[in-house]
Amino acid sequence: MAEFRGYRRENGSIGIRNHVAILPTSVTASALAERIATEAGEGARATPHQMGVQQLEPARKQTERVLVGTGRNPNVGAALVVELGTESIDAEAIADQISESGKPVETLSIRDSGGTTPAIKSGKKQVAALLDAVKTTRREKADASELIFAVECGGSDATSGIAANPAVGNACDRVVESGGTACFSETPEFIGAEHILADRCTDERTKAKLLERVEERENLAHLMGVDFRGAQPSPGNQEGGLTTIEEKSLGAISKGGTTSVRDIVEYAEPLPKGSGLVLMDTPGYDVESVVGKVAGGAQVVAFTTGRGSTTGNPIAPVIKVTGNPLTWKRMSNNMDINASTVIDGESLATVGEQIYETLLAVADGQRTGSERRRLEEFAINEIQPQQLDDSRRYAR
Amino acid sequence: MTLSAKPTDNETGSNPENTVNAYVRSDGRIGVRNRVLVLPSVICSHVVADRIAGAVPNAVSAPHDHGCGQIGADKEQTERTFHGVGANPNIAGTVVVGLGCETIQSNDVATRLETAGVRVEELSIQRAGGTDPAIERGVEVATKLTDTDETERTTVGLDDITVGVVSTDVQSSTLNRADPLVGEVIREVVDAGGRAIVAGTERVQPHASDIVANAANAEIASQLEELLETQARLPARTIGLRRQAADRSFPDLARQWGELPIREVIPYGASSELDSGVALVDAPSGFAEAATALVAAGAHVVVHVTADGIPTGHPIAPVIKVTGNEDTYEALADDIDVLATDPSTTLVDTVRQVLNGEASCAEQHGLSEFAITRVGPSM
Amino acid sequence: MKGRIIDDVALIMTERDTVATALTDLDDGKHIRTDEGSITLQEAIPFGHKFAIQRMEADSRVQKYGEVIGTASDTIRVGEWVHTHNCESTRGRGDVSKSAVATQSKGVDPE
Repeated sequence: MAEFRGYRRENGSIGIRNHVAILPTSVTASALAERIATEAGEGARATPHQMGVQQLEPARKQTERVLVGTGRNPNVGAALVVELGTESIDAEAIADQISESGKPVETLSIRDSGGTTPAIKSGKKQVAALLDAVKTTRREKADASELIFAVECGGSDATSGIAANPAVGNACDRVVESGGTACFSETPEFIGAEHILADRCTDERTKAKLLERVEERENLAHLMGVDFRGAQPSPGNQEGGLTTIEEKSLGAISKGGTTSVRDIVEYAEPLPKGSGLVLMDTPGYDVESVVGKVAGGAQVVAFTTGRGSTTGNPIAPVIKVTGNPLTWKRMSNNMDINASTVIDGESLATVGEQIYETLLAVADGQRTGSERRRLEEFAINEIQPQQLDDSRRYAR
Repeated sequence: MTLSAKPTDNETGSNPENTVNAYVRSDGRIGVRNRVLVLPSVICSHVVADRIAGAVPNAVSAPHDHGCGQIGADKEQTERTFHGVGANPNIAGTVVVGLGCETIQSNDVATRLETAGVRVEELSIQRAGGTDPAIERGVEVATKLTDTDETERTTVGLDDITVGVVSTDVQSSTLNRADPLVGEVIREVVDAGGRAIVAGTERVQPHASDIVANAANAEIASQLEELLETQARLPARTIGLRRQAADRSFPDLARQWGELPIREVIPYGASSELDSGVALVDAPSGFAEAATALVAAGAHVVVHVTADGIPTGHPIAPVIKVTGNEDTYEALADDIDVLATDPSTTLVDTVRQVLNGEASCAEQHGLSEFAITRVGPSM
Repeated sequence: MKGRIIDDVALIMTERDTVATALTDLDDGKHIRTDEGSITLQEAIPFGHKFAIQRMEADSRVQKYGEVIGTASDTIRVGEWVHTHNCESTRGRGDVSKSAVATQSKGVDPE
C-alpha cells in the first residue's frame, strides 16, 4: 500500500500541510487578513477575496461554504476568521462550523479591536498562538487512500489533451485504485464531451445531474448573448491550437482518468473520502475552480498547463504538469513535471506513475514550485444576479 | 474644467481656497498623487504584480479576481475598467502584467492605454519565461516609469479637480449628518468649475422618477431612465439597500450631491467626459467596487461615507472616510478621517489637505482593496 | 500517447478523425507520408495546430479524438490548416439562438 506522512487531525482526517488559515468574511477584511499573514510569518496563509459585505443569499451561502470548507481542509491546523463586524456573514458562525472538525479557531473583529492598527496587532498575537498550537502536531503515517486529489487544467493547448491530461488521468486512476478520491471539475469544459462522461456515471441520478449542470453552464452563453469563444477556448488556448470548446473539452476530460464517475457535487461542497472519481460543478476559471475543490477538502492539486499557468493556492500544494516541451524549457522554475516526454514516445503509464509518486512526495512534505514562490492565488466564485433568474437551479 | 496646466494667477484675485497643490503632468493632466500602477490583466498575474509594486517606491498594484473566463458585456466591463483606472490622472504610468493565455490580453490593455496617451509598459509571465524573470523585468520597467518630470507640486485651481463620492449605506447618520457635508464639498468643487462623480445606482433606483427629474437635460434624463430600468430587472447586489433606500425620501438622498443637476451618466469603468458638474456612475454600493468605478471615471480623491466604518482604502486614489455615526467613530477613531457631528473639523478642509498631499487615514494604515464589479458569471 | 503518428511529425488520434495534430512546427508545402499515400501542406502548421487529412465540405463535421469538435465553415482541402477561421463551434453559442444551432447540427449530421 502506498503511504505518506501527514498531520492527523482530531476528526481523523489527514493534512499534508500544517497551516494556520486567516479567513476574511468579506472584501473589507481581506487586506487586513493578508497583512496579518505576511507579518505572522511562515505557516500563516490568508485567503483574501472580493465578496461583498452584503451579498445576496445564494451568493452569500456559496461564500460561507468556501470559507467553512477552506477552514476545515485537513491542511489547515488552526484558523482565524476576520471580519469588520458588520458583514452579513457572521465570523462566529463560520468559526463554529470550522471548529466542529476539532481544530482551534479564533475570530477577530476590526470594529471590536478598535480599528485597523489595533486589529493587526491582536490578529498577529492570535496567529502566533495558533502557530504555536499547530506546531505540536507531528507528521505520522497515513495511507494513500486518505488522499483527496484534485485535478485542474489551465492555459491549455493542444499538448494538454494528448500528453499532460491523460498522464494526470493515469495518476487519478492510481489514486482511485489505492482507495482514495480523485476530483475534477470545470463544467464548461465538459461541453462537447458530456456524452462520454455520462456513459461513465455509475447511476442514473449522477448522469442526469451531470447533463443538467452542463446544460446550465452552456446556457450562460445564451444568458450573455455571445459566443463562448474568447473565454472558452481563451486566446491562449487558441494560439496553442485549440479551435473550439468541444475540442478543449475532449482533451480536458482525460485528466480525470478512466474510472467510473461516482457523483457530481456542488461548488465547494465536501468531497467524500475514499470515493473514487467524483466531479465538482465549477466554472472553468482556474483559480475559482481550484478554490472550490480545496474547500471541498482536497489536500493536493495537479494542474496541467500547456501555455504555462503559474498559479498556486494558499492551502493546498499545486503540482504543475506541462505537456508542452517549450513551456517546460522556458518556465521550468514554475513547472514541476514534464509530461512532454509523452509526445516523444514515453508511455502514459510511465509519466502517470511519475506524477503519482510526486503526489506522494508532495504529500510527504516536498514543496512544489508555486509553494516555494508563495504563489497563492485565491478567489471565490460569485453567483451573479442574472443567474438568480434561473430559479430552477437556485430555488432548491 | 480645463485640461491644460493652469497655475492660478493671483492677480486675478482668485480665492486661494479655490486652489490646491498638485502634480501637473507634461500632457496637461493634473494628479494629486504621483503613483505608478502595476495592473494585472488577470488574477493569474496578480501575485507577480503585487511583488513588482512592492519592490518599487511609489508603485501600487491593483490586484483583482478577474480577466479570464469572461464573455460579452462582463468582459467588456472589466476591460473598460482597466482602461479607466490606468488613465486616472494620479497615475504617472502603468505597467500591465499578463499571464499570456488569458481572455483579456495584457498587450490589448496596454495598446488601448497608450492610444489614450498614458505612459505604459507591458509584459507577460509566459513571454518573460516564468514568474521570476517577469518580476525582474516588471521592477525594471516600473522603476523607469517612476522617473517623471512631475516631482514638485504646483498650484492649480479647484476647477481641475474631480471628487468621487460614495455612501455605502442609507442609515440616518449617513443621510442626515454625513451626506450634507459631502454635498457642501461637491457644491464648492462644482462652483469652482470642478467635477464631482457620485456612485451607487442602488440608492437612487427606487426613486427613478425623482432622479430623472434631477437630470440636467432631456438626453441625460433618458440615459438615467434606461439605466434604472435595466437595474430594476435584476436583484440589487447589496442586500437590503434598495429596500432601505425606498423607505427614504429623495431629498434625503440628493443631499449627498448637493441637490445639483446630474449632467452625465457614466457606465461602470468608463472615464467621465464632463467638463464641470455632477456625474452619476453606474456602480453598486459596495465600497471597493464603487471606489474602482469612481477612480476609473477620473476621481482624484474618493470621499466615502460609512456608518459601519469600512476602513479600506484604494490603491489609486486617496480615500477619505466620513461617518455620521459616533459609535463607529469611537470604535475606529484611527480609521475615520471626519466625524460629521464634530463641529471642530470640516470635511472641505480635510478634502483640500488630502488633495494637497496629506495622507488620509486609509493611506496611513496602507491597506487598500481593488475590486471590479462583474456583470456576468465566470465561464 | 494515444493515436497513430504519421511521418514522425503529426498525430492522428483515432481512425475516425478528419484532422491530424502537428507535433512540431511544419512548413508550407511539406509532404507528409501516410499509410494511404501523402499529404502536401497547403500552409505552415504551427506545433499543436491541426491540418485536414481529408477533404471537408462546408457544414460538414470536423472530427478529432473520434468525436465532433466543430463544423467546417467553408470547404477545407487536404493539407489545409484547420482552426477558428474555418471551423466553427456548435456549442456555447449564445450569439445564435438555440434552435438555430440545433437545426444546423441536424442538417450536417451524416448519420
